[in-house]
Order: sequence, then structure tokens, then C-alpha cells
Amino acid sequence: MKVGFFVGCNTAFNRPDLEKAFRFVMNALGVEIDDLDGQSCCPSWGTMPSVDEAGWYALGARNFIISEEKNVDMVTVCGSCYGSLSETKYNLDKRAELREKVNEMLKAIGKEYKGSTKIRLATNFFYNEIGIEKIKNALKYTLEGVTIGVQPGCHSLWPSEVYSEGEKDPFHPVMLRELCEALGASAPYYSRILDCCGMGGMRSTNVEASYKLVKTKLDSMKEEIKADLLVTGCSSCLIQFDTAQAPMRKDKKIDYEIPSIHYVQLLALCLGADPQQVVGLSTTDLSGILGKLKKIN
Amino acid sequence: MAEVEVLNISEGEVGFSDEIIKLGAEELLDCIQCAKCAAACPMVLAGFEFFNKRIIQSILIGQKEILLDDNSIWACQACNRCTEVCPRKVEPFAVVMAMRRSAIREFALPTLAIEGLKSLYDVGHAVYFANAGENRKKVGLPEKPPTTANNPQALKELRILMNKSVLSSLGIIPMDAGLSDVTCCEV
Repeated sequence: MKVGFFVGCNTAFNRPDLEKAFRFVMNALGVEIDDLDGQSCCPSWGTMPSVDEAGWYALGARNFIISEEKNVDMVTVCGSCYGSLSETKYNLDKRAELREKVNEMLKAIGKEYKGSTKIRLATNFFYNEIGIEKIKNALKYTLEGVTIGVQPGCHSLWPSEVYSEGEKDPFHPVMLRELCEALGASAPYYSRILDCCGMGGMRSTNVEASYKLVKTKLDSMKEEIKADLLVTGCSSCLIQFDTAQAPMRKDKKIDYEIPSIHYVQLLALCLGADPQQVVGLSTTDLSGILGKLKKIN
Repeated sequence: MAEVEVLNISEGEVGFSDEIIKLGAEELLDCIQCAKCAAACPMVLAGFEFFNKRIIQSILIGQKEILLDDNSIWACQACNRCTEVCPRKVEPFAVVMAMRRSAIREFALPTLAIEGLKSLYDVGHAVYFANAGENRKKVGLPEKPPTTANNPQALKELRILMNKSVLSSLGIIPMDAGLSDVTCCEV
């Protein structure tokens, strides 16, 4: 099996350890990666989507066309990329007039959007394509006794209509919990499981307001399930939870730390990856979690 | 008691709703102000003054200036909870995006948004760290990812598309005028 890796800005330039983790995991699970050479920003919400619909979809379409030429679906670890590209595909496939307009723009670079490939979120791909059993069988380490607070991320859930695959009920997500449980950890429900991380436009506009969301979420995770670890399905959520906690502790907004990691990184660790390579750029302290990885004999 | 602000709605901007509808909020007029979107919105939880329901209300009564003076629209997370729960299929997120498009046409956009657009045009990425190569090498990756940032041909394609878009007529970021005349396959 072969997929195109849509890496996205934040993963390539901010958290390349997550990029490394994805490449390691796919290799370990026997999935071949095409790099989709020439891919760009999805484009993210604050750029072309905020200027003009056709411009947004033209840039998104150019990314899809690269995957169409390689005849592979795209997989991403970033919720924002998944959201923006899913909206692009949904609108171009559904609105003929818009597709015509965008294809007219694409003529200038000698290209045409056909709509023959999909964009998939890594966690959905693991759940639906690889499957829980195959993941369990591939593990070299497990995480028994670790309690995980999951953060599926907004863009894996809503608007459910634009996503090619997702939760049965987007207000009661179970996929990331089951994926964590497959590693031997527990991943219970907590009351703020659906809450937004506050990254993205909110953090750029008002960082203190965005920290309010972080605090509400982390407090809920801490008090209700005593989470040892926060696991996200989205690189934007990862960056927010990994970097917000130190300044919040300094300002006495919280008096604890919950180490934070992307599911792909956690899976890489359980498949035997070198921690320096797959979580080496973490700000939160993962040493306690690394110490709990138990080798399967 | 807090001071009550009274708006003279007869002074609202006529035609503002039509502008927003044209910019991508086609179902705007179906809103009944039920506030289901507000109940689901992270911006409400974080304490922003204008969020989906209030943005829609302000548009409907023509209060363009109020929305241009407030930066709340840029704090929208694009999470689409509102789109999911709206009983009238208004797609409140589409309204917020249309409002951003209107604000951009009035040059009312945050510096970070300008920088993001500029970075997108310059290297093909809204988020870009020129010194990322060091961290990439540290984790065992090639210094440069296989993207527009390292593929001049792909970057040229992306710029041609941005030149073909409305952005080129807005004068927000410097763009290469030479790429605007490309008509077909001259890449």
C-alpha cells in the first residue's frame, strides 16, 4: 500500500520530530510513502480562505493534483490541513460552477483538478485502514498503567459532512480513545473531551484568551481522570499543549504539567522508535512516560 | 450599572448583508438568532466580544464599522461546531470567513495575517522557520522538506495561482506582476 504524505507547515518546520515519527510508523506498518514533491501550505485558514473562495480552492486543488498525478490518497497529521483540504474537495466536487472557475485558474499552470483522490487524517487512517488488531500485533512496547487524556481536535470532527471518514457521532468521539487503548493504556472519557485547544487564529489574536481554553481542558483532564499524558490527533493541538504549559505555570495559572504528545509519536515509541528522533523537540517532560514503556517479550 | 450602548440602526450600512452573501455566506438571511452556534463556540468560552451569533446579528443590521474595529473575527478557530449544530443550515463559519474577506477589502486585517499571506507567497507556507533545517537534521530528516520551499518550479505555480486570485488586486502584499499575465501552460 502507498499513500502521499501531506506534511503541512507546522510539522515540517516546527515539529519535524512528528514528521520523523510518521515516516517511522508508516515504514513499520508496511505502508509506502510518496513525498508529494512540490506540495505547499494547505492553505491555512488565516491566508487564502480569508481572502477569496476560488483562491483558497485553487491552492488546495494544486495539492490534490500532485496526489492525483501519483495516484495516491493523501494522509496528514495536521487537523488544520485536514480541515482546509477536506473543505476544498467537498466544495470542488459538489459545486460544478466553482470547479469550472478553479480549473480555469489552474489552466495557467497547465493543470486540472479531477477529484480522484482523498485527504485522510493519520488517526482515521490507522483506525480504518490499518486496524486496531494489526497495530496491536506490531507493537514492541506497551504502556500499561498509563492514563491518557485524549484530544481528538476540532478538525477531525466538524463539520462531519465534509469529511470522507469520521466518528459515528462527532460529539462522542471514540476512535482516538480506542487507538490509545490498543497500546495498553487507558483513555477514559472526561467532561471537556470535546473542547478546543485554542491554537490557530485564537492564539494569534489573543494568547491569554487561548490559554483560558487550555486551562479549562487541562484542569478537567487532571481532576476527573488524573491523566498522566495528553495525546492529540492534531499537530496544532500538539504545539499548543506542548508550549502553553510552561508560560502558564510561570504565571501561576496552573501548578502542574501534563506531558503532551501526538498519537503518531506515541505509536512510534511503542513500535520501537528512537525517542530522540520522534519526540526530541518536546517542551513538556516526557521522561516519566518513556520510563513506563514496557518491552514485549 | 453598566452603561448601555444604544445603536441607531437606521445608520447601518445599507447593502452590507448583500456584500457578505456575495463573499461566501449564501445562507446568511436564514439565521433566526437562536444562538445554538454561540453555545458551541470556543470564542464564547474564551470571552471574545463578537462571536458567530453576534457577528451575524451585526451584519444583519449593517454594523460594518463595529466589526471592522474589533479583531474577534480573526480569533475564529474554523472549528465548525457552529456549522454542525445550526438548525437553519446558515453555516455561521462561512459568515465569519465572508466577514474576514470584507475586512481584508477594507485593509482591516491583523499584521499576523499579512505576514502569513506574505510567507505563503514567498515560500508557499503560512508558517515557515528559515532555521528549521537544524532541528530537521537533529531528528534524522533531510534539512529541506520536499515542498514549495525547496522546489522553485512548484513555488512558481503557486504564485501564478495567487496572482490569478483576488489577492493580486488588493495590494496587501508585494506580488510579482510578471506572473499575472500567464494565460496557459507557460510555467
